[in-house]
Amino acid sequence: MERIVKRLNLALAIAFAISLGPSVLAHHSAAMFDDAKVVEKKVTVKELQWTNPHVWLQVVIDENGKKTEWSLEGGSPNTLSRQGWRASTFKVGDVVTVRFNPMKDGSAAGQFIGAKFEADGKTIGRW
Amino acid sequence: MTRLPSVASVIAGAALFCVVATIGADAQGTRPALPDWSGIWAMQGPTVFDRASVQPPTGRAGEPGVREAPPYTDEWEAKYRTNIDLVRQGKFPDPVSTCGTPHGFPRIMNVPDVYEFAVTPAAVYVIAENGPNVLRIYTDGRKHPASEDLWPTYNGASVGQWEGDTLVFSTISLKGSKDNDVIVDRTGLVLSDASRATTRLRRVDENTIEAQMVIEDAKALKGQWRVTKRYVKQPAGTWAWDYACAENNRNPIDPSGKTLTLGPDGKPLDK
Repeated sequence: MERIVKRLNLALAIAFAISLGPSVLAHHSAAMFDDAKVVEKKVTVKELQWTNPHVWLQVVIDENGKKTEWSLEGGSPNTLSRQGWRASTFKVGDVVTVRFNPMKDGSAAGQFIGAKFEADGKTIGRW
Repeated sequence: MTRLPSVASVIAGAALFCVVATIGADAQGTRPALPDWSGIWAMQGPTVFDRASVQPPTGRAGEPGVREAPPYTDEWEAKYRTNIDLVRQGKFPDPVSTCGTPHGFPRIMNVPDVYEFAVTPAAVYVIAENGPNVLRIYTDGRKHPASEDLWPTYNGASVGQWEGDTLVFSTISLKGSKDNDVIVDRTGLVLSDASRATTRLRRVDENTIEAQMVIEDAKALKGQWRVTKRYVKQPAGTWAWDYACAENNRNPIDPSGKTLTLGPDGKPLDK
């Protein structure tokens, strides 16, 4: 049952992400991202670059012992702060599950959709 | 013995009289009070410029195949179709990605993030957080500069007057698109250096400001292009912030027109 709910939530998130499209990127073309795909990964936060024109969440993905740094691009800190984000929202070492639209070419980056913190289950962004 | 007033108190009294007289004149209708457009506003809907004509109706600027229906001439319709194809190929970069140039008019009326509309006796300033961008509209009675005193700029030259609570302004001397260096939106819409507009800006209700634009372009358009944008008031206490586009721009454009994604070390991640 829990798995079904999880899949349903993911499907809703995907549908919402598709419906919203690339609007979070206010300053450049979003052609590099595959809006039709949503990737979900458990990651460790390396850094939150709280900067304009976009925030960047630097995360480390550990797959079978192979650690890779990924760059997840969000909106502007201006808009995100009005949506409840703060510069301290992500701390170094936080373990979170992130959802993002991946790069079409498979490179280690994506368009941030949302995140769920492992420590307390809180979510941020579209979840 | 009667004390004479000091020079300072006489000056202060005169100044107070002038202020009271001015307020009184306004109250008597010699100069209508200016409307209150204070607060923070956000454009309604996504950044498709002409939402009334966009196809598909839910299409968003930047998505492949999305287009609007300006009354283009055949030549400029062909340019638009070329741009739509570039969008499809991922090679229609947004010129503001360089963090070096303004969005320009009319695009300044079509940006995300928030707006402020500063109404003063001599000018109205449309301040877009995104960019940042400022559209100056002089309302002090001046006319447009003579043609020999103008040169094409991103936001052109705007002068206007109040018709009741509606600001009616005319914008000329726009830079227009040359090789897509100024765009109207990311579907590929562009206008020429012959474009100009008359805009009616008003507060239609407590929570809505509306801009009705009538755009003309002797080179690109066969007729008038009417576009309406609306801006919704944000909750009291909302802040607009500094938008330093060049602070950490990790999305430069390569010579082919592709928008890159840089890693934290400044090197492209793109394969």
